[in-house]
Amino acid sequence: MTTAIKILFSSALTGLLGLDSVQAGQFLFSRPAFVGPLLGWLNGCPLEGARIGILLELLYIDVIPVGGVVPPNGAAGAAAGVLAHAAGGLAPSLAFFIGAAAGAAYSPVESRVRAARSPWNTLVQAQVKAGDLNLSRWLARAMLIENAVMAGYVVCWAGLAAALAAVPGVRALYPGTDFAYSLMPWLGLSGLYFRFRTQAYKK
Amino acid sequence: MMTAELPINAAAGKAQAPRPAPVRPPLAAMFFRSFFIQAAWNYERFQNLGFAFSLLPALRRIYPDREKLNAAVLRHTEIFNTQPYMANFVLGNIARMEEAAAAAPEPGAWLKSMPGVKQALASSFASIGDRIFWGRLKPMTTQVCLLVWTLCGFTGWLFTGLDTRPSTGLLLAGPLLGIAGYSAVAVFLRWQGLAKGYACGGTASCGLDTVNWPRIIRLLSAVGYALSIMLALLAFGLLAGVNYASCSAAALLLKLGLGAAVLVLHRLTRAFGRSVLFAAGFILAVSVLLFSVLRLAPFNLYI
Repeated sequence: MTTAIKILFSSALTGLLGLDSVQAGQFLFSRPAFVGPLLGWLNGCPLEGARIGILLELLYIDVIPVGGVVPPNGAAGAAAGVLAHAAGGLAPSLAFFIGAAAGAAYSPVESRVRAARSPWNTLVQAQVKAGDLNLSRWLARAMLIENAVMAGYVVCWAGLAAALAAVPGVRALYPGTDFAYSLMPWLGLSGLYFRFRTQAYKK
Repeated sequence: MMTAELPINAAAGKAQAPRPAPVRPPLAAMFFRSFFIQAAWNYERFQNLGFAFSLLPALRRIYPDREKLNAAVLRHTEIFNTQPYMANFVLGNIARMEEAAAAAPEPGAWLKSMPGVKQALASSFASIGDRIFWGRLKPMTTQVCLLVWTLCGFTGWLFTGLDTRPSTGLLLAGPLLGIAGYSAVAVFLRWQGLAKGYACGGTASCGLDTVNWPRIIRLLSAVGYALSIMLALLAFGLLAGVNYASCSAAALLLKLGLGAAVLVLHRLTRAFGRSVLFAAGFILAVSVLLFSVLRLAPFNLYI
């Protein structure tokens, strides 16, 4: 029961923090380096949360949200990873890769949510023509939908992780995932290095 | 970057417009609303609804006439897209243009030049903002986080299996320090953008000369690159330090070589146009094959 409440609360909080990534503020409270330790602290594993968060941050930093690119969602990834460990009971190494997959798989979901807002333009124009200038309701609706979608998405991944933890023999994966996990900081550091190297030498 | 045409002057010349009446728009309300400029981002017109929402307090003050107000809001529900932190440069500029159009006896010339100015500024500031914020400052906050953690004695981010127990305060302080610095710059630029954009509104180069953007971009690139090298050297130094007393020179070289091999792998994946997620997936697949399926003896990067 407590676990279920923690999952629901963490997912709702992730949905709220997730709004910061695009829709409101953009203060970077949605970045995995912050969401990871925060949710880890709320779920009793701040260290694992911080590790999962910062490593996801290092991986995702390689993708820049310019043009039509919808980058992997760090908040969803970190939340799924932390909950896979804290609530699902998986090893942090496997939980990290589940989080990385969850974050990357959120891009098409986010694209669909954005696409679903396109028809609103016609409705808003009709509303303005009719003399009703209340645009805030559209913005609030957009944020509520996005919040609910992300919260639901994180709950689904937490459930998936719990189901995976119940599969017999899943522990056999841990030696492999532990080794791969130990190499992720190096992959992240190389991402940072090449990102700035390219920029520093660009004329 | 763009032609230095001055539509406000051109428009003034054509329409013989007097100096706009001082109907100063509520900049504070626009500033607050601009934090939601992407709230209803959509593929058809991007930030249009957020832009119209942010401009609305100014439009309400500029156009007391309801029909003119409706027409003005409709004008700004057309396509608009730029970097969100830099959008306020355009917002201030357009508020000033609307103010001038409302005060002019013949607003046609102002209204005609408005979409062009809006589009030109949006494109220019998108390019500048993407390079400053997404390309440089955001990754630098990660570097700050890693440096804070390491300097405060937490190296668990590098040694994923090491059982250290840093305080939760430190774990949150690392990212929060980066967030605070980044957000301070972003909020400052949002406010400055609105104020400067309003002050020089009406020109297609308004705000572009506020600061020497190319110099700032070059400076940030150099600092970021230096921090990247510092972090890489720090990581190799820490790995050598952790293993120095507990394994042979050959084993130490192998472990350091493994770290370097990951850098090479990442470089190769980039050369073939693949993302870092492909490299991560490749490492995971090979590791699971070797240590979980073939059950080779576990290999630890550190003791």
